[in-house]
Amino acid sequence: MKMSRRELLASTLAAGTLASAGFGEAQAQATPKKGGTLVATWGGFEPQALFVPAGGGSSPYFTSTKVLERLLKLDNKLVFQPVLALEVTPAADFRSYTIKLRPDVKWHDGRDFTADDVVFNALEYWKPISSGGALAGLTSAEAVDKLTVKFSFKDPTPEFFLKSVLAGKAGLVIPKHVYEGSNIITNPANNALVGTGPYKVKQWVRGSHVELARNEAYWAPGLPYLDQLVIRWWRDPASRSAALEAGQLDIGVFNPIPAPDLKRLEATKRFAVTTDGYLSSAWISTIEFNSRRPVVSRPEVRQALLHAIDRDFIADTIFFGRAKPSIGFIPASNPLFSNPKAPQYPFDPKKAGKLLDAAGFPVKGGSRFKVNLVAAGWFEENVKLGQYVKQALEDVDVTVDLAIPDRATSLKRIYSDYEYDIAISNNSGAIELIPGWTNFVTTSGIVKGAAFRNANGYSNPTLDGIVSNLTTEVDEKKRAGLAHEFVRIAATDLPITGLVDIQSVTIARSDVRNHSNLADYLGESWSDVWLDR
Amino acid sequence: MLKIVGRRLAQVAPLVLGVIVLNFSLIQLAPGSFLDVMSAEQQITDPAMLDQLRVTYGMDQPAHVQLLKYIWSVLQFDFGYSYRQNASVAEVIMAHLPATVLLMVTSIGVALFIGVAAGIVAAVKVNTIWDNLVSVFAVFFFAAPTFWLGIMLTILFSVKLGIFPVGGMREVGVTEGPIAAAFDVMRHLALPAITLGLFYAAIYARVMRASMLEVFRLDFVRTARAKGLAPTTIVLSHVLRNALLPVMTLLGLQLGTVLGGSVVVEAVFSWPGIGSLMLDSVQSRNFPVVLGVLVLSSLVVACVNVVVDLAYFKLDPRIRAR
Repeated sequence: MKMSRRELLASTLAAGTLASAGFGEAQAQATPKKGGTLVATWGGFEPQALFVPAGGGSSPYFTSTKVLERLLKLDNKLVFQPVLALEVTPAADFRSYTIKLRPDVKWHDGRDFTADDVVFNALEYWKPISSGGALAGLTSAEAVDKLTVKFSFKDPTPEFFLKSVLAGKAGLVIPKHVYEGSNIITNPANNALVGTGPYKVKQWVRGSHVELARNEAYWAPGLPYLDQLVIRWWRDPASRSAALEAGQLDIGVFNPIPAPDLKRLEATKRFAVTTDGYLSSAWISTIEFNSRRPVVSRPEVRQALLHAIDRDFIADTIFFGRAKPSIGFIPASNPLFSNPKAPQYPFDPKKAGKLLDAAGFPVKGGSRFKVNLVAAGWFEENVKLGQYVKQALEDVDVTVDLAIPDRATSLKRIYSDYEYDIAISNNSGAIELIPGWTNFVTTSGIVKGAAFRNANGYSNPTLDGIVSNLTTEVDEKKRAGLAHEFVRIAATDLPITGLVDIQSVTIARSDVRNHSNLADYLGESWSDVWLDR
Repeated sequence: MLKIVGRRLAQVAPLVLGVIVLNFSLIQLAPGSFLDVMSAEQQITDPAMLDQLRVTYGMDQPAHVQLLKYIWSVLQFDFGYSYRQNASVAEVIMAHLPATVLLMVTSIGVALFIGVAAGIVAAVKVNTIWDNLVSVFAVFFFAAPTFWLGIMLTILFSVKLGIFPVGGMREVGVTEGPIAAAFDVMRHLALPAITLGLFYAAIYARVMRASMLEVFRLDFVRTARAKGLAPTTIVLSHVLRNALLPVMTLLGLQLGTVLGGSVVVEAVFSWPGIGSLMLDSVQSRNFPVVLGVLVLSSLVVACVNVVVDLAYFKLDPRIRAR
């Protein structure tokens, strides 16, 4: 890219468009129609609360983001677009950032949205609660005037990193006047949200749906197009297919229906299936080797075992083609930081056997050694994945003791007790690697009892150094270089790596227009989606 | 009779205490804790934050202290607070209770009606094509998995014929008057109630048939026939009433489980009942909600037992004499 991200952001601002990339562009050509009720769902269950301040997973993220907004959003071309902030500008030394806020934005209760709200969020909410340590270097946040905020950092802070935090899961802006002086995590307002977003909470019928009504005082003139957005939950994927066919559901995000149904419904031409809208929320299935266990702590054993696993089979058979073999720990869909040149371990059981012989594990009495394999049972696919990996390893004469515990037990075994040799789990994350992805392999990522971090005990000072540089390097090119080196080391030592990149899909009726146009569409505000009816 | 009622109700206190202690221990024994699930879901990785949550959830105290505290608060009719839903347990349960009670009572009603009727037909026309048909249907609906039956009914009646909605309890995004709303709920209730009802009806039909056949052989029926009563009168007022006792026992057992709901039917029809709440709470080790539902259930079981006992007296005065 010739333009810097800042210039790109500025140019899109000057154009002042709502145009979006790729899939969205083609759809947006027709003149949007106003009105109507859109019924939406996602491939999971009802949230425990409409908004869970510390995160809470995809379901509360899906509901809360229609009501609460962020300062920025990331589009399908990986360009940050303004939402509540008009500009986010770094100082020359990248140790401070000036944020210009959008004027005339009102909270749903009629109060003005101001710089004080952002300062409160940065210091009281994002840094301590939601960002998971990403903003640890933030030393101060102050309101320069009513619509300008200045963030100061201990170290130089890369622009893409900060904007990713602001546009990411952690960056929802909550009203200071509602949350100040209370425990944010248990505030009753979490189930009766006050936001700045295009929709207001009208009614939540527990166990069924939440009705979101158009915010008449929304800051973007003419938006949202819909009168009403209803988010409904079905616990059963086959019921979601039936609801689509019966016309009672308009759009489902994040793999709402069984894979075989996707083809059938798409063939009717009444529905459109897309994989857009997941660029910055890529999911992978991971395999992890416990460095505390002597046999699987050796990289040559890990490499050999990976040669025994057929990732194409996993993608085609277990995921019905809705996944691609991974090329490393970072999903291949990440255009900035994934590294296709990192070492690969193609399926070759013979080579696996030879490598294991060479590593000093010949077959003795029918077996080379025994491993405990734990497949985290929160996804149906993980059950099959665990069974497949067991078979694949047994084919190279490794004895496998497989356990597929339920969610709570899996979390405990993998992330609290480290009670496994090989674990199959998942990770999902944004384009930015810090801190979500890097926490899986850095020494500082080892926190007993904290899920989705370094559970394998891997500790490599070289890699820690690269990650630390990645945190403070402000030149985007040099950052990409560091990231590639990070991926290469991880792919050589293999504390953890991807088995397959899961391809998330959205299915919508053909008359739902202008959706899936941002890099994490499930968690965007949906202000510009409209119904062609 | 009052003595019986009193004795039954006196059993409630130890029953509830037992339910609490047993289930609390079971949840404690299950690997993984509420804190693990919540912190994983919220992706909390900061150790200080983890400690803060442990204190918030009351999990910094030893298990027996947690248990005593819980029992003390239940004695004051306080079922505690669910941090998962960010609401009091009573509130969470009440939000799901009406839907569950409606679904279960309706489906048991459907089951009782269809099952008893089918059982009578099978017994009266024993060893005919009618009897065989009832047996075949009973076996079919008993053996068919409810989720499969539910999906098949949905595809037929909702997708193909468009008569009933696909799941839910109310039409979403519509404001309507009380009569229209009641009608709307009935439309949504039909398929889940039939799915669940047919499953139960199969059991009722089998029990009813067996019980009727047994009563048919008794002397007083022969006497009734001999004195020239019409066959309908014999079946309805002599045989049916005496054959109903086993069905009453079954009904009592089933009414006791009303609060448990049906996880499967609720999932297929996205019925906003307690079954899914229980499933989620067990999976997330959210013991205040699990215990809240179980304590309420044990109260219901105790009350239903009293009612069933009273019904026995009504149906068969000999029981009272003993």
